[in-house]
Amino acid sequence: MERIACEWCRVQNPPGSTTCQTCGAPLDERNKVSDSGWREAPRLRDMTEFRFSGSVCQVEGELVPVAELALAPNDWVYFEHHVMLWKDERVPLSQMQTGGGFRRMFAGMPFVLSVASGPGRIAFSRDAPGELVVLPMPPGVEIDVREHAFLLAAGSVSYSFVRIKGLANILHGGNGMYLDRFITQQYPGMLMLHGNGNVLERTLRPGEKILVEPGGLLYKDASVQMQAVQQDLKVGLVRKLYLAEMTGPGRVGIQSMYVHHRTG
Amino acid sequence: MTETHVYTCRYCRHASDPTARSCVRCGAPVDVRAAVSTSGWQRQEPITDMARIQFGQSYVQVEGVQVPVADFALANGDRIYFSHHSLLWTDPSTRLTNMGLSGGWKRVMGGLPLFMVEAHGPGHVALSDNHAGDLVCLPLDHGQQIWVREHRFVAATGNISYDWTSTGVWYTTRSGDETETHYPLGRFGDVFTAREAPGLLMLHGPGNTFVRDLAPNEPLLIQPSALLYRDLSVGTHLHLEYPRGSGGFFLSSYSYRNVWLRLVGPGRVAVTSVTEHPEQSNRIVRSSYATSWRW
Repeated sequence: MERIACEWCRVQNPPGSTTCQTCGAPLDERNKVSDSGWREAPRLRDMTEFRFSGSVCQVEGELVPVAELALAPNDWVYFEHHVMLWKDERVPLSQMQTGGGFRRMFAGMPFVLSVASGPGRIAFSRDAPGELVVLPMPPGVEIDVREHAFLLAAGSVSYSFVRIKGLANILHGGNGMYLDRFITQQYPGMLMLHGNGNVLERTLRPGEKILVEPGGLLYKDASVQMQAVQQDLKVGLVRKLYLAEMTGPGRVGIQSMYVHHRTG
Repeated sequence: MTETHVYTCRYCRHASDPTARSCVRCGAPVDVRAAVSTSGWQRQEPITDMARIQFGQSYVQVEGVQVPVADFALANGDRIYFSHHSLLWTDPSTRLTNMGLSGGWKRVMGGLPLFMVEAHGPGHVALSDNHAGDLVCLPLDHGQQIWVREHRFVAATGNISYDWTSTGVWYTTRSGDETETHYPLGRFGDVFTAREAPGLLMLHGPGNTFVRDLAPNEPLLIQPSALLYRDLSVGTHLHLEYPRGSGGFFLSSYSYRNVWLRLVGPGRVAVTSVTEHPEQSNRIVRSSYATSWRW
């Protein structure tokens, strides 16, 4: 029997699998792709399990889903502390410095990230209806994520942040001054996001452009260039509309329920 | 000989294709049994994920189910209008312009932004609301009108005109020397009319949406903020209800009173399952026409 390739993360699964062992995506449902090229992120079924490193993640619920991790010894994950829902008493917590100091504070980003180490169980959720987006990261991948959208990342994924270049971005792009940047080097990793509402992904060809409401951006490959562009559209007596111009190549992920930022 | 079936979509009330998965006029699923409560409410089935709804030479594809996205594929010469708050993404080739300021006063009075955006085909533009709920598509025939609660509008085709109307539903409360006027249905409502040709109106209903057809003179009480849309033939006024035994030293009769919206048929009404909290109550000293009941 043939192995089954996951259409979301491209990993091969054993014959007969109904969910991907690496990202939890259903394997027995058709990909949902719109005529304009947006692919819906797979909706993870209630109680779906998948593995990363030696650990197991189980997804519980569908409206505001919970990611429950059974961390193996020596595995660890990091996250913003307010996304913790519950944990075993024995799971130790520590902190990870992010660098950036006051620059991060002004951007509304946390100074430190929390770290949970195995063995033991810990669960995470954010506080809005939406979807969990599992992004397994092969070695050598860089993904930028809008602030406060990442739920957790495996310890093998390096964390940094990027300042969005360009004055217009800082003042008007609406996406803050920083994006979280997640990088894998020689080892694979796993990144999990929470998208508000529904999540859609589109892969841009080199040079291909789309305009996105800045509040709707969820993630992008680091290769996708983002720039705020003023539109010749009034949204107030003196204000004009700004949209984020995304230029390929690479993936762009958007969320359908977003924080609408001041746009000018 | 081939038997021809005439199928009328139970949601948009237009002739549709019985062999399609979803109604081509409103996107509602065709192949599902109507979910009707014993009281007569019919669940407005969510638009099928990836369903296409045709209007003119253009169509809109609905993506997602929790906070669905309306992805418009506009043909050359077609246009839609919407609030910039709903814009999610657009092709760079889609031409976006501001609507003319004529009618701006009406929009502001009706709770819509003064500066509305028009998208002109050819090209794609996608809209979404910021709340979990249903997109509701209402195809309007030439000359057809519909009343919509303010802030529920997502988009309309260019041939649908917009106007506002006073809801005529209000009451004034007094606390000490201060009086306050409340508009439980909003101060103004939106009226959309397909002027020169059929058009498409798209609304967002927070939570789930339910529709019901009222018979002539059939009354119904609903939470005012639940109303999503109604036929213009449906009458609306206040109904104040005072439960028995709510008097006493600490509790005045108005503390537990209920402010209902009384609907009177004939016509269709739609309600949403997410409503706003009723405003804090003080003694009502004046109101628009209201029926009342004391238990």
